[in-house]
Amino acid sequence: MSLDTTLKKLSVRSPWLFRINAGSCNGCDVELATTACIPRYDVERFGCRYCGSPRHADVVLITGPVTTRVRDRVLRVWEEIPDPKVTVAVGICPISGGVFREGYSIEGPLDRFLPVDVNVPGCPPRPQAILEAVVLARSIWLKKLGFE
Amino acid sequence: MTDTLLAIVHMAIFPGGFFALALGFLYKALDRRVEARLQRRIGPPLTQPWLDAAKLLTKETLIPKTACRSAFLLAPVFGFTGMAVCAAFIPVPGVYSGLFNMGDLLVIFYLLPIPAMALMLGGSASSSPFGALGFSREMLLMLAYETPLLMILLAVAMLVGKGLGAESSGAEFSLLKIVAWQQENGSLGFNPAMIPALLAYLIFLPGTMGMAPFDVAEAETELLEGPLLEYGGPLLALFTVTSAFKTFVVLGLGVALFFPGVLGSWWPVNLVWFVLKCLALMLLSLTLVKSACGRLRIDQAFRFYVTVPTALALCSLVLVWLL
Amino acid sequence: MAGFLKVLFRNVLEGPSTDPFPLGATFTPDRLRGRARINPELCMGCGICHNSCVAGAINITHLPDGSGYTITIWQNSCCLCASCRHYCPTGAMSITSDWHSAHPDTDKYDRLEQHTIKYEPCAGCGTLMRPIPAALAKRLYAATPHLDPEKIRHLCPDCRRQEDAKRNAGIVTATTTETVAAREIVSAAPTKY
Repeated sequence: MSLDTTLKKLSVRSPWLFRINAGSCNGCDVELATTACIPRYDVERFGCRYCGSPRHADVVLITGPVTTRVRDRVLRVWEEIPDPKVTVAVGICPISGGVFREGYSIEGPLDRFLPVDVNVPGCPPRPQAILEAVVLARSIWLKKLGFE
Repeated sequence: MTDTLLAIVHMAIFPGGFFALALGFLYKALDRRVEARLQRRIGPPLTQPWLDAAKLLTKETLIPKTACRSAFLLAPVFGFTGMAVCAAFIPVPGVYSGLFNMGDLLVIFYLLPIPAMALMLGGSASSSPFGALGFSREMLLMLAYETPLLMILLAVAMLVGKGLGAESSGAEFSLLKIVAWQQENGSLGFNPAMIPALLAYLIFLPGTMGMAPFDVAEAETELLEGPLLEYGGPLLALFTVTSAFKTFVVLGLGVALFFPGVLGSWWPVNLVWFVLKCLALMLLSLTLVKSACGRLRIDQAFRFYVTVPTALALCSLVLVWLL
Repeated sequence: MAGFLKVLFRNVLEGPSTDPFPLGATFTPDRLRGRARINPELCMGCGICHNSCVAGAINITHLPDGSGYTITIWQNSCCLCASCRHYCPTGAMSITSDWHSAHPDTDKYDRLEQHTIKYEPCAGCGTLMRPIPAALAKRLYAATPHLDPEKIRHLCPDCRRQEDAKRNAGIVTATTTETVAAREIVSAAPTKY
């Protein structure tokens, strides 16, 4: 196994998380904060870290139904994240529009604009479901690197 | 010729280079792990800093279109080189006595701010407004914490210089002699005149490491990591490696200045003893404070540094001068 | 800060309180609102769930040949409010405590709760209709033991009305000449406000 392969295989054990709020009601954002701040869910066990800069991110968690005003900003921030990245849609809003679907200022669902890899529906999803999504995102990341 | 070769070995393997990196990463992992324990969490595995570095090496490097390309690329290398050299100057009591048997305090004092300077350089070269804000905060904080550091070093040098008497000219800046003098006459950490200086050094540590409550420059919630905002991939890995070196340097310097005692003459025991002393210093001054405090504002942090640690260090300096 | 140090010390003594999940098991409260389920035995296709669903996740479509209907819940739009369960008159809607909702995007459109329910011919006239679920019929006719719920549930509303008329016709005597006394109306008040 070459050094490159080894590094790539190890790399998925350090997924740094980045949140993008695409017009969310903050419910899902609170659940995301819960996974990091409440000892019961402790997302740091998997080497995760919520980072402040999109340049450091590996797994991007997007909440909210993508409103008209925030659409271009979401796309711009998403473009800033270096490859390989895994996109996770958190909550029903980015997946289908949720309760805001067909609103006058709703541009979503999210996969109209960018490739989504993992969905975790819920209003909001349970913190355990978000942990499951992060673990799933890890395996998808490994697939993107060309393993399995 | 052999001197040069030996210096390269010291910079690349022990105590600089690989050893400092391994120790720094171990301390960083322990710091996160102990912090997690203090918060009733489990925390990341001890290999996490290595995994993070491996991950960063596989990511792509993005350079902002408006950035000053050369400065942006050079800044992490600049910080890394400075700290890698500085690590070789740190004596490990009973095992290693510093590069060229010199380990001069003033050299270390000049090399210590290099990572912060590299951060400032990178932040201002990144052309990001957050980087510029981080740059100004880092600079302000550095001005505030360098003064007490200088006074601490001066107090130690004067005390040892007085102790050595005729052998030195007033103040002794050779770390080798400071360590040797303490091993004969008792550690400075237990000297009543030096206790304020020790406290000032403990307060200086979180500021120089950019950790809470003094992580104002890299505040990820308000400044989005400040100067590190635009860095990603291998360049960011270089910054984490620099930070690991710096952990080793400031903790090792603290041990050399205040607690350079040894246990017998067998070097492996002394090495372990040194590692444990550094760990205790880190847990006390970084981890415990980090998990008990929130982040200060930049003006609060600045005011704190120019008053409390400066006054403590000055107190020691005056005591040393009087006694 | 001293107070915090006390808390930190206690935390160290008590040890981590982290759930082993996803490496181990986790707990699920019984009343947790997870995936919505439809019991096709009980569903009448009345559409109250469709109308009360805030997220618009429930859809009822009639089969083109009129032989039944399809009821669909799209889980990826369900906001777990349980309005459908609250308003469902037959109790066909239920919210399970299954919260394992993470899935890859390729499965996005497969996460459906879908049932196609076929109509049955009325025992009286043969019109296609949805028979009243047995459990519901039993509950409805509990106060009238002389009626057989099993028989009556297979009748369409028209046939049920006719049956009722026939039964009541036998009770009222047609030969009397005296005027029927003005009776108090006992039926339910109109629901319009």
